Amino acid sequence: MLESLVKWSRLKSPWILHFNSGSCNGCDIEILAALIPRLDAERFGVLLKGTPRHADVLVCTGPVTRQMKERLRRVYDQMPEPKFVVVVGQCGCSGGVYAGAYGVVGGIDKVIPVDAYIPGCPPRPDAILDGVVKLLAKIEKGGG
Amino acid sequence: MNWLLSIIYLVVFPGILFVLGFAFFAEWLDRKVYARVQRRVGPPFLQPLADFIKLSSKEDVVPEKADNAIFTAAPIISLAAILAAFLYVPVVTATALHVFEGDLIVALYLLTIPTLALFLGGWFSGNLFGQSGAMRVASLLFSYEVPFFLALLAPALMAGTWSMSGIVVYLYGNPLAFVVTIGAFFIAVISLQGKLERLPFDIPDAETEIVGGPMSEYSGRRLALFRLARDAEMVVGAGLIAAVFLGGPWCPFISLDPGYIAWAVGAAFFILKTLIVLGLLILMKSAVARIRVDQMVNVAYKYLIPLALAQMLVVVLVKYMGWF
Ligand code: SF4
Repeated sequence: MLESLVKWSRLKSPWILHFNSGSCNGCDIEILAALIPRLDAERFGVLLKGTPRHADVLVCTGPVTRQMKERLRRVYDQMPEPKFVVVVGQCGCSGGVYAGAYGVVGGIDKVIPVDAYIPGCPPRPDAILDGVVKLLAKIEKGGG
Repeated sequence: MNWLLSIIYLVVFPGILFVLGFAFFAEWLDRKVYARVQRRVGPPFLQPLADFIKLSSKEDVVPEKADNAIFTAAPIISLAAILAAFLYVPVVTATALHVFEGDLIVALYLLTIPTLALFLGGWFSGNLFGQSGAMRVASLLFSYEVPFFLALLAPALMAGTWSMSGIVVYLYGNPLAFVVTIGAFFIAVISLQGKLERLPFDIPDAETEIVGGPMSEYSGRRLALFRLARDAEMVVGAGLIAAVFLGGPWCPFISLDPGYIAWAVGAAFFILKTLIVLGLLILMKSAVARIRVDQMVNVAYKYLIPLALAQMLVVVLVKYMGWF
């Protein structure tokens, strides 16, 4: 009873934090486009938060550069459990066009555990929302 | 029987449960109207409840640099102070649960405590963003608190009493007296917006400048309590203004018989008037953008305070001429 209530609340209120660990900014603009009034993410309870302490879902873009590796790790550690990570864009999934470059570690999952990948270069805003909804379905099934 | 009624008054209606339920409703209304103004759909009805449960079930984090005792006490104290202030607001009849000469002042000071708690919580969270947000909280305190107090002085002068229930009793006798203090009413609503740190006065937690302000380090159930306290403050502040300016439970057919129908109608009118004040707060939030710290001090000291003083002069004149 209590557990299903908590699960319901988690599904209904995913607060996100947006983090760029070396993206070309293409994906970031698409994330902002997914939050515009026309698509209205707030009807799913999504709020964009400024601090990792408030967030439930870390939305990452871009490959992880060597400089950003520690910082990505720290931001992830600052989020309170339960937390989820969504990767937006080809670069975050695998390193994309930057794979193998001297300053790049690789995809986000080389540094922190990832729950959902949204490929595309960059993915469309509706694809991003669809990815978030798929993550919620995964949480509902039992992950987290 | 009397103690039973008192306990129901304290805990269920119009005590703790009512205020908390109303607070959730007010947050939903706030976000929904805000969304509709921006041509969005807005959050579902149970959104504030979902946020609260989710936050309460999250991991409990206290930063290493934070002072654990103050960090934890701040949200609890602010919620407690707000709930205590509501006991002096007349909701069902013209007399609140506890009445004494001067309860208006006590309620006003109780409503100041959440601001101080927010300041202390932010300051002792050991985060630079939290500390600069806390400094903004403290420096803004002086710009909205003065007009708020001055504005609430007008109806007190009008009724010649420092007790909220006394003012409401006076308004029962002279319902038209609210026309005289209408200017102070709007000043009080604007200062309440500043007190609640909502747009255009949300300078302390401007997320585009200093991430979460004093709440940057707050997470989990402490954050849930802080958010709930802020919503409750919105409801209690609006209810206080509704009582002092608009006569709270007063309505044209107050002399209904038997007593409990009059109570129900009175409470319904109180809620209606509170909703009117809440509506003003929400529309103000939707219509404006954030201003800077110095602009806020300007607004308060150049416009709000002189207007509040002029309002007091009007009240004194009206009293002197014996029109009311
Ligand atoms: S996936 Fe494409 S748009 Fe996104 S960061 Fe990489 S190169 Fe830029």
